[in-house]
Amino acid sequence: MKMKKYLLALSLGLILVLAACGGSSDDSKKDDGDKDSSSGDKEVTLHLAALESAYGADVWKNIIKAYEGINENVTVDLTIAKNLEEVIRPEMQAGNYPDIFMLATSREEALTETLIKENGVENLSDVLTMTVPGEEVQVQDKLLDGFTDTLATNPYDDGEMYLAPMFYSPTGLFYNAALFEEKGWEVPTTWDEMWELGEKADKEGIALFTYPIAGYFDTLIGSLLYASGGPELFTSAMTYEEGAWQTDEAKRVLETVEKLSEYTHPNTVANANPNDFTKNQQLVLDNEALFMPNGSWVVDEMKEAPRADGFEWGMTAVPAFEEGGDQYAFTFFEQIWIPKEAENIDAAKEFISFLYSDEASDIFLEAGAVQPIEGNVDKLDEQKKLFYGIYEEGALPAMGTFASTDPVPGASISDELYGKVDSIMSGKLTVEGWQKAIQEVSDKLRPAMK
Amino acid sequence: MSKKRSRNIFIAICVSPAVILFTLFMVLPTIEVFRMSLYNWGGFSKTKEFVGFNNFKLLWNDMNFIQSFQNSVLLIVLVAIITIIFAVFFAAVLTKEKVVGGNFFRVIFYIPNILSIVVIAGIFSAVYDAKSGLLNSVFGVLKLDTFKQMWLGNQDIIIYSIAGALIWQAIGYYMVMYMSSMASIPESYYEAASLEGAGKFKQFTSITLPLIWNNIRTTLTFYIISTINLSFLLVKAMTGGGPDGSTEVFLSYMYSQAYGNSTYGYGMAIGVVVFTFSFALAAIVSRITKRDVLEY
Repeated sequence: MKMKKYLLALSLGLILVLAACGGSSDDSKKDDGDKDSSSGDKEVTLHLAALESAYGADVWKNIIKAYEGINENVTVDLTIAKNLEEVIRPEMQAGNYPDIFMLATSREEALTETLIKENGVENLSDVLTMTVPGEEVQVQDKLLDGFTDTLATNPYDDGEMYLAPMFYSPTGLFYNAALFEEKGWEVPTTWDEMWELGEKADKEGIALFTYPIAGYFDTLIGSLLYASGGPELFTSAMTYEEGAWQTDEAKRVLETVEKLSEYTHPNTVANANPNDFTKNQQLVLDNEALFMPNGSWVVDEMKEAPRADGFEWGMTAVPAFEEGGDQYAFTFFEQIWIPKEAENIDAAKEFISFLYSDEASDIFLEAGAVQPIEGNVDKLDEQKKLFYGIYEEGALPAMGTFASTDPVPGASISDELYGKVDSIMSGKLTVEGWQKAIQEVSDKLRPAMK
Repeated sequence: MSKKRSRNIFIAICVSPAVILFTLFMVLPTIEVFRMSLYNWGGFSKTKEFVGFNNFKLLWNDMNFIQSFQNSVLLIVLVAIITIIFAVFFAAVLTKEKVVGGNFFRVIFYIPNILSIVVIAGIFSAVYDAKSGLLNSVFGVLKLDTFKQMWLGNQDIIIYSIAGALIWQAIGYYMVMYMSSMASIPESYYEAASLEGAGKFKQFTSITLPLIWNNIRTTLTFYIISTINLSFLLVKAMTGGGPDGSTEVFLSYMYSQAYGNSTYGYGMAIGVVVFTFSFALAAIVSRITKRDVLEY
């Protein structure tokens, strides 16, 4: 009988332990609830979730220190990780949303896109008219023109900003400037010159082109669309307009990519995966390939890599289709945003407005992160000035991304438009097949557009 | 209280922690996956739209899914058959023959199993590297330039390259399993057989194979489960599903749909298909390999 009582006590104990485990999330929620307040005089704890990118983790710690210095009522909790989505997703599914996300679109896990598609992102238009803390100007007066009216910041194309532009990097074709000087080659400005150079380089045993992974074609094809049909073509392609890909201008873009495949380094496709993409970038460093589409981050990414003697980074805008035609360089951005479920939305907006202050932007610049703020380019070092100054040398800025849609099962425009580039390069797919695939997925996405 | 009743209570109390844990962490989530597959949902919002079996209908026409399904099935079949042949062969050699340094080989064969799949991905991208990879270099030295390949670039063969890596890491583990059951077969059977004039091969097919059959049957289920799981991890780390989806397996496709494409419900529908498929396949395999268990 005694034995039975012990067993009963033991099993009760086990059940209690289980119940305690299950209840823990409720407890933590209650804690947050106590601090529920917007801004003003009350104590606020902001939860910032940031992706740990090439700029490092310390930059955010410095920013937080600076902000807590001028705003004593605010404490900022920071979650920073290289796999931020994996860290934060379970918490969000349990209902604990961070107040601010520093997480750009175009990531593989697409957390930002998911929230956009689910209408889970807070409207940030009023941040533009907020006065920058510690300064007398409004946020919108500090921002460079054109950065707050693209699909990358206004995903619903309704004139409202949901994602604030944080850091930007110009992208283009990267090459070894020293090699061009040594061989006496000119950097091509049109595609015809490009093909000529391809032949010349081929005789020297150098391939004209390589690319890290197919995903990098988002900036290249973007620039090509702009160059071929202007902003109208780009917008119609990005908003899945009917027949957009059947136009001659769009077809010219796809054919250019196909023609590039003739000049692409043979090892490229084999290395175009998340494990080996640096081997493709290495081809440019080793003078085995002339150009690759990339962004200014590649300089830091390949910092430690060996390279040809006298190697010197150069970057050019994507060539024009005709003599004297427009050349574009796509601008890649990283956005900051507030989820609708955040508890301290007003305080979060204040924090974001602070990020555009001179004090904050200097901290960012030190870490190599450049914000689209007037006068920032002048503060850069020579190497960076070369990249960021590309627009002053005549290249036009190209910006934007696909319009947001409701989630459509099995339909991914980036898989069809960029992923298929690998098949074009290996010759498995024709331009017609590619065009058809893009058209089909556009047809599926068009009715789902917001 | 009767003795029988108190015994039943005792049993119930003893089993209940396991049952509770199992229900909480296995049964309920599985039911949840099945339920979610009937909804259109991005993963976060509070608006879930019930769509019935629509996700499954869409799956049926999704060529990308069908390609990933084909890849998975091909991998399961290839990995199971080739691994079984190698593992049984090496196990037989190491237990029955007096190989110099037999224990050393046993350790060597087992090592891949200790390595993390990410390390294996690293090793094999070095082996398959187009320029300086082991495979192409060996062919180069042997002047067999026609065999040189873009192991990770040619869309027709890349899935076999993945299979190669999976087989390499699996052989050691299964070899050790077969060795343990081979070691328990009494030596006298082999002595009797050889007195009767049976050769090594006859001994293997008539004594070893029937007596380890039950072990092989069990491992067949392991092949199915582990290939499904490991192929996902390897593909994620090594090829990212590329080039252009040619190494996408169904779990990686499920992942990209559930997260990358913000269609969580659709991803769960793929999960349901994978669940049902692996369950059914394991049941069928177990059924058709059923033999009377031989005892010794």
